[in-house]
Amino acid sequence: MDIQRIMAIVEASYQTRHSIEGALRDIDRRALNAMVLVKRHGNALAGYGVVARAFREGAADLKEAASHMQKSIAPLIQAHMRILQHRSYADLFRRMRETMDGAGKICPTLGCTEETWAQTIAAEEAEALNILYILIQAVNRIQEGIAEQEYVVTNGRIEAALSEDTGAPLMRVSRDMGNAVGIVRDAIRSYRNQLEELLHESGTGF
Amino acid sequence: MKAAPVFESGDHRWWILHDQDEHRVIDSNVYVMESNGQSILLDPGGFEIFPQIFAAMVEVVQPSSLQAAFVSHQDPDIASSLPLWNACNGKIHWHIPKLWEGFIRHYGALDAHFVSIPDEGRELVIGGRKLEFIPAHYLHSSANFHVYDPEAKVFFSGDVGAALLPPGHSAWVDRRDPESSKAFDEHIQHAKFFHQRWMPSNEAKKDWISRVRQLDIDFLCPQHGAIYAGENVQRFLHWFDALPVGTALSAMHA
Repeated sequence: MDIQRIMAIVEASYQTRHSIEGALRDIDRRALNAMVLVKRHGNALAGYGVVARAFREGAADLKEAASHMQKSIAPLIQAHMRILQHRSYADLFRRMRETMDGAGKICPTLGCTEETWAQTIAAEEAEALNILYILIQAVNRIQEGIAEQEYVVTNGRIEAALSEDTGAPLMRVSRDMGNAVGIVRDAIRSYRNQLEELLHESGTGF
Repeated sequence: MKAAPVFESGDHRWWILHDQDEHRVIDSNVYVMESNGQSILLDPGGFEIFPQIFAAMVEVVQPSSLQAAFVSHQDPDIASSLPLWNACNGKIHWHIPKLWEGFIRHYGALDAHFVSIPDEGRELVIGGRKLEFIPAHYLHSSANFHVYDPEAKVFFSGDVGAALLPPGHSAWVDRRDPESSKAFDEHIQHAKFFHQRWMPSNEAKKDWISRVRQLDIDFLCPQHGAIYAGENVQRFLHWFDALPVGTALSAMHA
């Protein structure tokens, strides 16, 4: 695996984690604001109250799903850095063997050591691939959570339209909710694309 | 390996990466300073713990923000990870004691970008914040530097202040009761042997203490063990001043 590809994933992991953390905090705040608004208007906004509650619950589920994703990021980075570390040993033995070969000397022990490192690295690559699968599953769960939230936001917009005569700024609240969910959706979609590229390269032994 | 904040004021931050998971090599702390989206690593650590240091660093700073690394001296727990960092980011500028450059190149990465630190020390600006490389020669290495951030009042003290602590240790010398020296007294028992055995010169020690006493320090951050904060900084300087060092040979011959 190309180190630049790994560094791109590391960079994307950092950015995604931070943008999701910020957006999830925002979603939570928006949900709380909506619930306060509903409370203030009493029964007139009962329908929107259901939406606000569902949005808040969804925000908690998203947070939980994001924490699972974050738990897999550090092990993935660590696994790839260990591969980088062990490749440096393997390269050292390869260069030594090539130098000996060039000098017409045969040293079978060097070949054996090189092979041992190749096996170690192959095992570590398999482990990294396994962590990558787990990470993609965690990303899946976040995407499912986002789809749920988008459904809630759509219902919120309908309820807002139906409750326009109450004077509560529900359309704006719903739009803000939708924007916050959209930030998470876009960040996670882009991250998923990068992870899938990494998976593709890992699978093809790039 | 855990990442914990040391100092934070707006876009100016310090972190410690501590309590490594690999116990066959000496436990080491790595520090990261970030300012205005640029960061520097201080004593980036040994080859064996590189994967966990790297993963912990990514918890707190964006990898591409890393502009520079500081190497206090030539030991393997300080800088043997250099070729791996260089493979990940060839743009890092390595600030290294001039005396040790040719030695440190032995770790690999002949193409790494080295910037010499002369014996008298010098300054470096990262993200608009000034860092001072303070000479600490013979504490313990013959060409050795510490780092002072006058704005954050953070002093990275390398091996000075080091303590050999058990796994799972805190990043801090307990500071819940700053008026009492009890926590410091307990902690310093873990630092005594280290200083007696690894610090070779009482003269160098006295000279360092007289210079460091003139600095305004809130956090004294060693490369092993735990951070001394507030009153514990002065307690440490007082303790170190009174401790005879460089006594190993006489003790062995006694």
